[in-house]
Amino acid sequence: MSYRELDTILYVDKISVGYEGKTILKDVSIIEKNIVRDGHDSTGQTIAVLGRSGRGKSTLFKALTGLVKPMSGQILISDMATEVADDAKILAEGDVGFVDQKYTLFRHKTVYQICQYALRKSKTTKQEKDKLITEFLTEWGLLEHKNKYSCELSGGQRQRTAIIEQMLSSKHFMILDEPFSGLDVGNIEKVKTSFQKILDADEYNTIIFSTHDIRLAAELADSIYIIGNPEGTTEYSTVLKHYDLKKMGLAWTPYGEGHRKVVADIKEILLKS
Amino acid sequence: MKNLIKPFQELKSTSRGTIMLGWLIAILTFWTLNMFGTSHMFPTPTQVIHGFGDLWAEGLVVHIVSSIALCAHAVFLSVIISLVIAYSTAIPIMKPVGTFISKLRYLPLTGIAFYLAIIINDARSLQVWVLVVFMTTFLTTSLIQMIQDIPKEELDHAKTLGCNRWEILWEVVIKGRLDYVLELVRQNLAIVWMMLVTVESILAAAGGMGFLIKNSDKLGDNGRVIALQIIIVVVGLSLDFIITKLRKLIFRYSNY
Repeated sequence: MSYRELDTILYVDKISVGYEGKTILKDVSIIEKNIVRDGHDSTGQTIAVLGRSGRGKSTLFKALTGLVKPMSGQILISDMATEVADDAKILAEGDVGFVDQKYTLFRHKTVYQICQYALRKSKTTKQEKDKLITEFLTEWGLLEHKNKYSCELSGGQRQRTAIIEQMLSSKHFMILDEPFSGLDVGNIEKVKTSFQKILDADEYNTIIFSTHDIRLAAELADSIYIIGNPEGTTEYSTVLKHYDLKKMGLAWTPYGEGHRKVVADIKEILLKS
Repeated sequence: MKNLIKPFQELKSTSRGTIMLGWLIAILTFWTLNMFGTSHMFPTPTQVIHGFGDLWAEGLVVHIVSSIALCAHAVFLSVIISLVIAYSTAIPIMKPVGTFISKLRYLPLTGIAFYLAIIINDARSLQVWVLVVFMTTFLTTSLIQMIQDIPKEELDHAKTLGCNRWEILWEVVIKGRLDYVLELVRQNLAIVWMMLVTVESILAAAGGMGFLIKNSDKLGDNGRVIALQIIIVVVGLSLDFIITKLRKLIFRYSNY
């Protein structure tokens, strides 16, 4: 499928991340560009991060959300606030949305209040905000639950609320930590639909997600990063391999033989990491 | 029958009711058996009933109101002080203050009452502040623990929404945990209630249930003492019940 790579939207340059002097991740580099496909208004980017447990995926996500500052290296993201093409800024807390495994939300706010709070910095009028929130809640099937607190929502409703909260907070980047974990086959399909909605909403929208389901990663992502311990050390993790499924001709295509080969290859790398 | 002594065994509501009834009968039997013999550990039920009658005639309701008013006054002040101290522990430079106040809960009552008596002349104020000091040390400890127990995910969630540190304190810690504050007040209220008898003896003129119990003790009227103990427990448990209901009513999301 023909596509074009435009401006760089995420530039992670040899970051090392750790806590209290202990290095967890070393020399991690990621470059992702805005993808445009012919005949598609909005493509968006889907990046999967795979790795065995305890190999630093969560630490990488904390760095990518600005919650942890890298010990060395830097993370740049495209600056949407300026009109200048390829304008980048150093990542700060709040630039990248994050939906954790527990779908954490404000416990004292209803779904509607959560959306209102996400829009608190928006300069639009109250009427415009209300209209936007109603549109989002309708689109994501949450309108009838707008007056419920997070403890009154099902797991899927919480996840969708967490996603639209981050989207309303003007985030083009969204990290989802194991969004498919523990879901049944029906709910997995719903999350896939959620992914597509995010990607369809804006061409700059970028999903970064982790999963232990290699097949699902190969099916959904157009870029896969494998995180793990390099051969000969267990001291730190790094990017062991990057699969650009776009270049391989596997992105946006039905799951097939090519995907199966990638899955087998990834499985082998993970077992050695 | 075996299920009644099996650990972690789920029981039907009828079985639970039977257990409660069994314990009630055991207490009443123990009490009745105590009436026989020469030395009595407890007064007879008749003496206790007479005690209730005497207390009612002496204006029991006025004394209950006086005790509740004293308790409410002390709790109000204590909650304000404890909240300020506990919330300020989120600020690194203020953290030692909260830790220090928390450690004061090991101080003995007599020592605190002695120092407070030096600086406070009015007896009613002295009663209030002895209770305030005591409750504050315990409530501050609980509140600090509450703040420390907030999952990191909640703080990180607020950060990803672009909240600055003060907004996190306001949204996650203060607004997000108001129901916990009410719950901790309920738990710590028992401390004030327990101290009431001692503190109300400081000022007999102000009355209160503590004064009544001390007076009954002096007269050697065991029936009145037990009747008052029952009243104190019932009023305390009622306050406990009301606060729990209030928490669930005000904070719909407070589902623990």
